[in-house]
This record gives sequence, C-alpha cells and structure tokens, in this order.
Amino acid sequence: MTTELPIVTRTPDAVDLFLFSASSWLIHRIHYDLPFTTENDGHPGLLIHGPLQGTYMVQAAQRFLGRAAKLRSITYRHLAPAYMGDSLECGGTVSDPVEGSVEAELWIRKADGTVTTTGTATFEVQP
Amino acid sequence: MITDEARAWAQQTYPDYVFDVGRRDIIKYAHAIGETDPVHFDAAAAHEAGYSDIVAPPFFPYVIRMHAAHLVPRDELAPDGSATADVPPVGATRAMAGEIHMELGAPVVAGDVITVKKRILEMYEKEGRSGNLVFVKMEFTFLNQQGDLVAREEFTRIYR
Repeated sequence: MTTELPIVTRTPDAVDLFLFSASSWLIHRIHYDLPFTTENDGHPGLLIHGPLQGTYMVQAAQRFLGRAAKLRSITYRHLAPAYMGDSLECGGTVSDPVEGSVEAELWIRKADGTVTTTGTATFEVQP
Repeated sequence: MITDEARAWAQQTYPDYVFDVGRRDIIKYAHAIGETDPVHFDAAAAHEAGYSDIVAPPFFPYVIRMHAAHLVPRDELAPDGSATADVPPVGATRAMAGEIHMELGAPVVAGDVITVKKRILEMYEKEGRSGNLVFVKMEFTFLNQQGDLVAREEFTRIYR
C-alpha cells in the first residue's frame, strides 16, 4: 500500500536563494547574478539550487512522516530547470512501513505541470 | 572534449578536508531551508531528543562539501564562481547538477569534526541536443571524529 503525500508548495524568492547559497558557501553565480545567468548560460532567470529542491522533497515527506522519521538514503535527478519565481509543488507517495523502513517516491513540479526533479528516498521510522 | 589532459585530471587524488561543525553553521543552514524543529537551534531540545548538541538537518553533508570546494582564496574561484580546481579541462564552461545519491549514517551534531574524502569515480562524454556533454561523477565520504560514517554521496556534474 502507498499513501499520497499532501502537496507542499514552495516559492523561493531572492532571500531564500541568498540564504541557501550563503549558508552552504555556494558561490555559483547562476543563483544570484541575473545578467550573468542570462548572457553566459542562456537561462531566462536565476536557478533554484538542485540541493534546495532535494531538501524540499525530503521536507515534504518528513512533514507527513513526522519528526521521528530519519532519512537514510535518497537518489534524485533534475529533469528541467526551476527558476526563481516558479512555485514548486512537492509531492509523491510513501509506502507503508516494512521492518521499520518507508520507501518514498518524490517529485517536484511547476504550476504548468513541468516536472523539475524526481527522486526516491528511504526513511527509518519507529516500528 | 575528453583529452589526455582531461583524463589525467580525472585521475588526480585529493587531500582529505576537515570541517569543524559549529552551532552557528547548523543554525544558519537550518534557517535557510526553513526548518523549525528546535533540535536544530536549541541545545536543550537536542539533549532531550537524545543528541549531544544541536543536530544538523539531513542534507548538511552537502554544506560541508560546498565549503570544501569553495572556501578558498578568491583567485581560486572561476569566473562563474565555481572552484577552479573542480572544473575539468574539457573546454566547457557551463555546469549543471546531475544525479545525486546520498546514504546517511550517524547524525551530524555541533562539535563534530568531519573528514571528507573525495575522489572522481568516472568521467564520460555523451552527445546532447546542443553539442556534447561531459559527465563527471564524484564520490564524497564523510566520517566523524569517531571514524563513524556520516554520509556517502555520489554526485554527477554535467558540463556543456
């Protein structure tokens, strides 16, 4: 049996992108320098960090599973870029616990339906 | 794009990187990602939950490896802000994140001293829609001061 996660929508703004770059000491310009990002990399906007999206996916599952659930492993990949201003809907499904472990299928999609990131994660839960 | 020079680059070995985890490191990152659980901010709450000090959110090893790459003198940063040492000599200047796989072990708590071991697992080339892409797959192993495995991560960066 699997259960659908309630969708959590995150819309990171310039402050969120700054805080993520600053706290992780990530200096890549595509997350804060718009002229560079459009002219050098050909993107229409500032990119939302891949690991920030990975974090959002984990948080959406964690909110459902509770604080006691512990992330044990995750594999995720990016299928399309997400830009500042995009609303990211974080959802997926989680399995029933089997021997203290829950498998989650996670995704992030934009309001227009474009899936930006998908992943699978394993959480340890209290039996 | 992958020349002998690039192949030699991919064979290099990296020195271990040591990161002292401070409370402030954890608190900054926890606020940045919108965490609200007091175990990330308040030592008393963390003690009550069974941790020796405030505990980091699960993706914290990422923060450690970003510091390992980017906490370098200004002139060791490439024009796009990435670490020059991380950019393979393949004539590509635009980087994107590929697949990430992370396994987590012991939690990271304030006061830990984490050692990061980095190596390049493979480098390969693929034809993309707008020219060739170079994939660099790296492995990061994070150990705490007791020698316990905190995390192991495989991360692919794509250059075009």
